[in-house]
Amino acid sequence: MYKAMSEIKPIVNALKRSKVGAILLMIQIMITTAIVSNAAFIIYDRSTYLQQETGYPEDEILYFAITTFGEDIDLSQLFEETETTLREIPGVIDAAVIAALPLSGSGSASGFDTLPHDQHQNGDNRNVRAAYTTGDDHVLNTLGVKIAEGRDFRPEDIVVTNDPSMLAKVAIVSRAFAEEIFPDENAIGKTFYSGNTGVEIIGIVDTMKGPWLKDSRPNNVIIFPRVEARMYQNVAVRATAEDRASVRKSIEDKILAQYDKRVVINMRGMDEAKAGYNAADLLMLRMLVVLIVVLVMITALGIFGMTVFNINKRTRQIGTRRALGARKSAIVQYFLVENGLICLVGLFFGCIGAYYLGGMLLREYSLPALNNLYIVVTALSVLVVSLLSVLLPANRASNISPSIATRTI
Amino acid sequence: MLSMKNISKVYQTEKVQTHALRDFTLEVSEGEFIAVTGPSGSGKTTFLNIAGMLESFTSGDFILDGVNVGQLNDNQRADLRNQKIGFIFQGFNLIPDLNLFENVEVPLRYRGIKSAERKRRIMECLEQVGLASRAKHLPQQLSGGQQQRVAIARALAGEPRFLLADEPTGNLDSLMARQVMELLEEINRNGSTIVMVTHDPELARRAPRNIQVVDGQIADFTLYQHGGASVPRKSNTVAAVNPMSVEV
Repeated sequence: MYKAMSEIKPIVNALKRSKVGAILLMIQIMITTAIVSNAAFIIYDRSTYLQQETGYPEDEILYFAITTFGEDIDLSQLFEETETTLREIPGVIDAAVIAALPLSGSGSASGFDTLPHDQHQNGDNRNVRAAYTTGDDHVLNTLGVKIAEGRDFRPEDIVVTNDPSMLAKVAIVSRAFAEEIFPDENAIGKTFYSGNTGVEIIGIVDTMKGPWLKDSRPNNVIIFPRVEARMYQNVAVRATAEDRASVRKSIEDKILAQYDKRVVINMRGMDEAKAGYNAADLLMLRMLVVLIVVLVMITALGIFGMTVFNINKRTRQIGTRRALGARKSAIVQYFLVENGLICLVGLFFGCIGAYYLGGMLLREYSLPALNNLYIVVTALSVLVVSLLSVLLPANRASNISPSIATRTI
Repeated sequence: MLSMKNISKVYQTEKVQTHALRDFTLEVSEGEFIAVTGPSGSGKTTFLNIAGMLESFTSGDFILDGVNVGQLNDNQRADLRNQKIGFIFQGFNLIPDLNLFENVEVPLRYRGIKSAERKRRIMECLEQVGLASRAKHLPQQLSGGQQQRVAIARALAGEPRFLLADEPTGNLDSLMARQVMELLEEINRNGSTIVMVTHDPELARRAPRNIQVVDGQIADFTLYQHGGASVPRKSNTVAAVNPMSVEV
């Protein structure tokens, strides 16, 4: 019984004697494996990032900014009335003046402590980075997030001021921040510090992202109950997803009808803002997909081309093998084993290359460490593509008539 | 051992039918050495291809060592070829990337013979053709005559019932041709049946039995006694006008 594996030794010997084509193909397979496994991992990492749960009903929320140039009006009063006007628009669920807009790529962040600044010398202080924003007792409802523990803001919690030194005494925080600053204990009622000012945690929201998804702590968010009334002010409106488009159209008219010495700018949905923030990542992801497809196709075509070339070069040899007793299946197996061997050597060096490329990307570009599973899956996929690329020409080779051996060309 | 009765081979294209063999009938007994001669295009290579099961035939009966070849599928023909027939080709058809040992090994691999037995047979056959010491050489490192001797070793390695040689000396100079012919004669003396297609009347005359093929049919056959003296020639049917191709 003919065993294709018994061909390995003569095939290896033959490849050693005629190695240029095989080496070029090995290099191609090596490069493909190294690049594709890293690209696939980056795609996975980025698509996980792009699909991450933000905690917000992104398709319900609208952002915009109001720039007021009229100086003949009390801004605090005006914005309170503006909020009321917005909440009355049909389809609107809630509206709030807000300092920093989540997922917008613009906001504020700071380090917050477990001890007042004056006592840092005396004890174990933990400093935790978090993005923060401000809003009134409508802000959580406007952002569509719910209190998981503790309570929402009450009107008496709200500090209305433009004085940056006047801080709120309470705050609602994301669970990620609560667990990082007070690990292994319930953070409700605990006090953290901004400088020497203590802030009591009164509520925890399970999932809530800050302005920057690429931040080192994207899930650490603090909302202070504070309203500022400035010439340039961000506003968030939440409407039902079905009504958001019509609400969007009517907002500017309602605001200007209330007071016309101001302009509404930069109106966008939260989902649009997020898409804008992530546009570069999405583009990179698509380019990587194209890169993978092109590389795998080039490799497949390379293998296909080399096999076709080899078959054309070895027509008489194949005929002779058939004349000497090779079945058609033995000819197919011969080419599969030959290409499989080339592919395995290419994959071996490709896996090493992938590992080192992953390490380089980690060092130079702070990408996450390559999961070795991606190398294994890529190597197996390249092997399958390679063998499939051989099948068609190998089948053609097996149909070469053994009588070709007796022809004089 | 080999029995062909009324074998015909027709190549069919869109407009032309070409009769390469017509009612070809031949019996070959064990231990014979037959030379098949004939002009170019007479059908001798087609006969060889059919005898070696390299090509199918259009009609007739072909029994090889008791097996009805017409009833075999492609795999069975490949297996039978591997077990019963040794081929010697005009162009040697050695595989250039394999050394002599590996070249001789090719038909043995297809038979699934174990490594140790393969090695024994290969070295024995290379010894027989006087090239055992060059087993690790590549074909291109040898002369034409030596390459043909390797091809003969390859043909012998499978211990076939008979050898089919297609112009085995066609690519060799006269000295090397004589050496190869002497080798074939020695193989025949050792009991192997040989059917050799050749253009060379001198070489043909060294075979005890000659068959001349003309227009796809056996035109003459001649039996030679030792030393090349002919015995009475028997005449077979020869068509006066026998066009190979007819319009259809």
